[in-house]
Amino acid sequence: MDIQEILAFVALAIALAFLIRKFFLKKKKSDKNCGDDDDCGCH
Amino acid sequence: MVSNQNINVALIGNPNVGKTSVFNQLTGLNQQVGNYPGITVEKKIGFCKLPNNVKANILDLPGTYSLNASSIDENVVIELLLNKNDKLYPDVALVVTDVENLKRNLLLFTQIKDLEIPTILIINMADRMAYKGITLDIPYLEEHLKTKIALISSRKGFGIDALKKLIVNYKSISSEPCLNASSIDPEYFNTLRKTFPNQLLYKLWLVITQDVNFLNLDRKEIRSSFTKSHSDLKRLQQKETIKRYQFINDVLKVGLKIDETVAKDFRSKLDRVLTHKVWGYFIFFLILFVIFQSIFEWSKIPMDFIDSTFASLSSLTADNLPAGVLTNLISQGIIPGIGGILIFIPQIAFLFMFISILEESGYMSRVVFLMDKIMRKFGLSGKSVVPLISGTACAIPAIMATRNIENWKERLITILVTPFTTCSARLPVYAIIIALVIPDNRVFGFLNMQGMTLMLLYLLGFGMAIFSAYILNKILKIKGKTYFVVEMPNYKLPLFKNVGINVIEKTKAFIFGAGKIILAISIVLWFLASYGPGEKFNNAEKIVTENTKENPLSEAEFENAVASQKLENSYIGLMGKTIEPAISPLGYDWKIGIAIISSFAAREVFVGTLATIYSVGGSDNEVTIKNKMAAEINPVTGEKIFNFASGISLLLFYAFAMQCASTLAVTKKETNSWKWPAGQLIFMSGFAYVVALIAYQILK
Repeated sequence: MDIQEILAFVALAIALAFLIRKFFLKKKKSDKNCGDDDDCGCH
Repeated sequence: MVSNQNINVALIGNPNVGKTSVFNQLTGLNQQVGNYPGITVEKKIGFCKLPNNVKANILDLPGTYSLNASSIDENVVIELLLNKNDKLYPDVALVVTDVENLKRNLLLFTQIKDLEIPTILIINMADRMAYKGITLDIPYLEEHLKTKIALISSRKGFGIDALKKLIVNYKSISSEPCLNASSIDPEYFNTLRKTFPNQLLYKLWLVITQDVNFLNLDRKEIRSSFTKSHSDLKRLQQKETIKRYQFINDVLKVGLKIDETVAKDFRSKLDRVLTHKVWGYFIFFLILFVIFQSIFEWSKIPMDFIDSTFASLSSLTADNLPAGVLTNLISQGIIPGIGGILIFIPQIAFLFMFISILEESGYMSRVVFLMDKIMRKFGLSGKSVVPLISGTACAIPAIMATRNIENWKERLITILVTPFTTCSARLPVYAIIIALVIPDNRVFGFLNMQGMTLMLLYLLGFGMAIFSAYILNKILKIKGKTYFVVEMPNYKLPLFKNVGINVIEKTKAFIFGAGKIILAISIVLWFLASYGPGEKFNNAEKIVTENTKENPLSEAEFENAVASQKLENSYIGLMGKTIEPAISPLGYDWKIGIAIISSFAAREVFVGTLATIYSVGGSDNEVTIKNKMAAEINPVTGEKIFNFASGISLLLFYAFAMQCASTLAVTKKETNSWKWPAGQLIFMSGFAYVVALIAYQILK
């Protein structure tokens, strides 16, 4: 396997990881506008 | 005087008072400025440096008419203002009002003032005062409204520095309420006061009447102790509103003067024409017609330039980099994939330029008003026009924009039908297929056939949305009262800056949002198209040599035959061949099938996928994406793959199919159920399949 092939497979791995993360892994909620721990009623 | 301090500032106001423009002026953040209602459906935060080293977090809250919430985005405002524990709870509230609608806008101001939050009254659009014959007695208004007033024009940018100074000195503003809450119902409120002596009376009243929680108090406890029937509460709310308007009228009687002889009535005359029951629709469709003609006419030259540039770049890379797998990946996978998306920048930019001009000018709100009568017949609200028109950009924010529709049934129907609207992701698919199968002719010397086809597809999407809404309205058994309030903003010359920002933001979002996915998919597709299992792939050259023993091929023909043999037996070729029986009745080959499957991630991936597949397996004679697609021949029939019948079939498929994973996700989020997105997927894609099948079978 030459260097070009290795780099191409690295690109493939990055692309697959990106797509899996994008479509199959759930994102963490980033909106903390409703206060820290208390239930402010934001539904 | 405060210094070295961080403060929270909430920007609140009725829709269409120029709140977002004030936000832009204060923060310098690039936000969309529009005129139709409900444009601000999410919290937006910006940062602003004020005098005396004070830093402010500016929170742009959704537009609301009062603190009596009737929609989800109005609830956002109330819940923030009632929750002191919220880290964004404002130190000072800026209530933005329009100088021409001061009376109505002040209702919200008085309510916020009564929450005893330091409140600054911003009177916006002050540049129109002379034109409308309006004079204000600011000291009188400040004294009687118990506040500080900033007279500004967010469009012209004046008064902003004075506003910043007022914000810094917010602690000097009186927190005295405008209305004594007890006067609404003395007996009831006195009992409340005795039970919760440490709580603000007006806050308690809002907790009782609104669907919100409140600090550490259990609202069930409040409600069980102070039960009043729903109709009694409504009656008290009406009484409160009347009392507030009495107060506002008394203040404005002295503080606001309008000289009717100065006021010019250009707006009323224009409104009569633009919302006329015949001329209104005629003008609306004329504007749409001009937009779609222009999109095709003006985009032609830059699109051809981008297409040929990427084709040259691909050849240049292949010729100059050392031969190998990585070079092939770059020249056949990555560059055609990126080119397949960048080519559509001109059309998308022109589309958003026109939409932004319509919003900026105030015309879009007239369209909302105009369409309300029609919408009602189909179970929608006039406000549904907003998501349906925003859907031309993307269904995701459009579905979120339904939050300002008060009636749940109307909102649900709007959510379900909005994906039929032609989004910008469909535009690349339409554009390339129209260019391939619709002649670039002119009818009557000026009507461009391709532009007409594009407009018809937009109308088809809109028509299907309306038709589906009608059916859903009959099927869904959900009850609820409905009413329609729309703000008619003044006509304004669109600001070049705002239009430009909108075009750049939307184009950037399109490129970077979809671009990363397309690039990743292009890389994966290239591998699937460049590698394959078994002898047929690995011995492609040998097989072609044996097959052509009797009729030797030229070197170029031989290379093409080998590339074709490899592609057909690659992983992607085998996948495509598996699904081919299901899609061949629609006039598609396996390559289109792969493009349809991959475009479920995002519709515009369709063109990038085909560009990658054709680059790997195609002839080197055709360099541009369009020419590669035009040159594709069906090996069975010997006819062009993209002919009139298959082209129309594809256009119709993409017009109706639910080809967007993200839209399904947002529908689930907004409806809180998988039932509705599943229904969307099955109905839309099933319908698309049947329509595409019928179209191909008739036209072939």
